[in-house]
Amino acid sequence: MEQYLEFTGIGKAYPGVQALRDISFRCDGGEVLALLGENGAGKSTLLKILSGDTRPDEGGIIIDGRPQQFSAPYDAIKAGVSVIYQERQLVPAMSVMENIFLGEQPKTSLGTIDKKALRQSTQDIIDKFGLPIRPDELAGRLSVAYQQMVEIMKAYRRNSKIIAFDEPTAPLADAEIAILFDLIRRLKEEGRIVLYVSHRLSEIFRITDKIAVLKDGRFVKYLTTSRTNEQELIQAMVGRDIGDTYANLRRNDKLGDVLLEVCNLETEYLRDVSFTLRRGEVLGLAGLVGAGRTEVARAIFGADAILGGEIRFEGEAIDFSEPKDAIEAGIALCPEDRKDQGLVLWRSIRENITMPVLGRIRKGLFLDRAAEEHLAEEAIAKYAIRTPSINKIVRELSGGNQQKVILGRWTNSKMTTKLLILDEPTKGIDVGTKAEVYQMICDFAGEGFGVIFISSELTEVINVSDRIIVMRNGRVTGDVTRREATEESVLALAMTD
Amino acid sequence: MEKQSYMRGVVRSPMFSLLILFAALVIYFSAASKGLFLKPKNLVNILNAMAISALLTQGVSFLMISGKLDLSTGANGTLCGMLLAFLLQHGTPVVIALPVSLALGGVIGLFNSVLVNEINFQPFIATLASTSVFTGFVYVLANKKAIDIKNPVVLWLGKGMIINYIPVSAVMALLLMVVVGVILHKTKFGRQIYLVGGNAKAAMLSGINPKKLSYKLFAICGVFSSLAGITLAARLQSGTIAGVTNARFQGITAAVLGGISFGGGSGGMGGAFVGLLVLSGFNNGMTVVGLNPYWQTVASGLLLLFALALDVFRTRRNAKA
Ligand SMILES: Nc1ncnc2c1ncn2[C@@H]1O[C@H](COP(=O)(O)OP(=O)(O)OP(=O)(O)O)[C@@H](O)[C@H]1O
Ligand SMILES: [Mg+2]
Repeated sequence: MEQYLEFTGIGKAYPGVQALRDISFRCDGGEVLALLGENGAGKSTLLKILSGDTRPDEGGIIIDGRPQQFSAPYDAIKAGVSVIYQERQLVPAMSVMENIFLGEQPKTSLGTIDKKALRQSTQDIIDKFGLPIRPDELAGRLSVAYQQMVEIMKAYRRNSKIIAFDEPTAPLADAEIAILFDLIRRLKEEGRIVLYVSHRLSEIFRITDKIAVLKDGRFVKYLTTSRTNEQELIQAMVGRDIGDTYANLRRNDKLGDVLLEVCNLETEYLRDVSFTLRRGEVLGLAGLVGAGRTEVARAIFGADAILGGEIRFEGEAIDFSEPKDAIEAGIALCPEDRKDQGLVLWRSIRENITMPVLGRIRKGLFLDRAAEEHLAEEAIAKYAIRTPSINKIVRELSGGNQQKVILGRWTNSKMTTKLLILDEPTKGIDVGTKAEVYQMICDFAGEGFGVIFISSELTEVINVSDRIIVMRNGRVTGDVTRREATEESVLALAMTD
Repeated sequence: MEKQSYMRGVVRSPMFSLLILFAALVIYFSAASKGLFLKPKNLVNILNAMAISALLTQGVSFLMISGKLDLSTGANGTLCGMLLAFLLQHGTPVVIALPVSLALGGVIGLFNSVLVNEINFQPFIATLASTSVFTGFVYVLANKKAIDIKNPVVLWLGKGMIINYIPVSAVMALLLMVVVGVILHKTKFGRQIYLVGGNAKAAMLSGINPKKLSYKLFAICGVFSSLAGITLAARLQSGTIAGVTNARFQGITAAVLGGISFGGGSGGMGGAFVGLLVLSGFNNGMTVVGLNPYWQTVASGLLLLFALALDVFRTRRNAKA
């Protein structure tokens, strides 16, 4: 029997936004279909409808010719659908095998859980995928990448014929992405239907067969991957040509004196880290996930304790006891994990933007509401945040738009930043806005300030930064200029001991 | 369309359902008490009770919005009321006795925050334990009997009336409530409370010090508790051993009913006020219709449970939407 998934006329409205309207397309078994579109285009909403999390206002889903009615995630799972969200859904305090067989663990004749059978069946699946994971390990102790693999194995165990991924590679390093793609190819060979959402075009070309492009909640184009190119995709997605992002960057080439000097820095995670950053310079920090880049940023910002060595900022030794002092000294850190360390999800965009500058927007005893609104409007315009109002709760924004809110916060015009540290700032951001962010970085350097740019996407960090520090296991393993750097050489430095 | 969805928002909002509940209570109790419930004399009783609960609610709201809690507010207030009576009895002038008693509340709050911030106890556990410490001090001070209060200034605070019908204490409590509402919504300090309650890590990385804030909030909560205890002592004309000890849950009940979640980061004085109306109306109504006091205790407990269930329900619905 033919396997396929079809969306027919799906519509969904949220207060103030029509998230989806009249979405119809089809996806066949044995194919990987990319869902592509700008931030807020409606990709995640469509996947939430597919997983039974959200109910559409109009339209429906057809699987293998049969119309489906999902009123809860359970219905979708029964119909053979697994959606793997960007936020992990595992139970951290349970073992890998318990997670994979959650709710359907094999029983002994006495009715207790048959641990032996459970372990064996789990091991079988793990072997099939060739992963170095133990069935008894606690899920919460695995790296993000392996947690994601466990979710895929869970979907596999359920025998789901439709598996959807929402920006799965955002938290992964290149080597891990390779493993993920092997898994996806295997799922495809078995004739399953795979939906794939990502803002990284190179991945789309590597792994997908078909592409469905959404724009402003509408379905705009259906393409065959082998018969299209980046230009066409961007044109369909953004509605205009944005050209070669990196070549078009207006860079700064005037370097000033030394702004930041890190000498033999030691923290709980870092060993003997040294580098300098000059005024007007964009310094990239490259390395695999866990290499210690975030820890460097946190130590400078006063969020982690410095155990040895020295950090000099504008010629003076600094060792802030809390981020407040760093902010006052002119250092801003836009953190990597937006849900955990960045956003106050239940508060509005406006309140999130002004967090670090509350002391600077006062009128007498009170906060100056007009100044606050002005800052929020500015951020919305600067990063093209899609929202009906500045007072919208951040939680209700799409993932990429949430990321833009944090960027907006740390680059708002009341900040008096001299050193801007950006930790994975483009995570989940669409191509059009990425170009804006790169330009913002260069402009900021152009004003005579310094930027530390941390990114796991090699192409980006190599092409935007003037100089790249490569790290591995809490140490610096390389210091190269943009001219010298190639993806191969930087990757080699990131992996050598 | 716009207007319709606005109306729907109002109807679905927790305040609206709470106001409906309040109206229902008023109607029921008026009928069941043959109109006694709405007699001016009874309304004064309601206002009097409301004053005490309002003070406790305000204190604990600061903490709850920041994601913390204080269960010792009642014991704190009782001790401070007792201290005031004790000081006055021993001839301390009121201008000293009153501030000292209020300050004791603040010190007790700081003590709680040391337990929470330095020893890392859960606020729930820490303040549950410290409750018995403070209650113990009440016994020590009282030496088995209540201490009379005779100072006219203090008595005016507890029993005074403006144009015969409006208790001074209620006016004070409600005015303070407006001030607290303005602080929460219009000042940097208030905003920081919401941000820390919403995501303490993010707040810290944005230059807010959650620990410092927590010290301030525990102290503020302590002062409000103290004021509640003092007000009750003044009304009863004596520092009593029971004091406001059992009223601590009233403050929490009103706050939670009004939408201040245990999770932190949400709610405000508007909601808390409606919560107070429901709570005070409910408690008073039970007395007016002559419900046996034991059953009243059961009913108060059930109201707290109802409030807690409401909080769980709201949190869950929000997590889903
Ligand atoms: N729970 C919600 N409440 C209100 N609006 C919502 C909610 N969820 C999504 N939206 C809105 O629906 C629109 C589509 O969001 P969606 O998350 O599907 O975008 P997306 O294509 O996944 O974007 P991104 O690339 O940024 O992840 C956005 O404008 C968003 O603000
Ligand atoms: Mg999304």
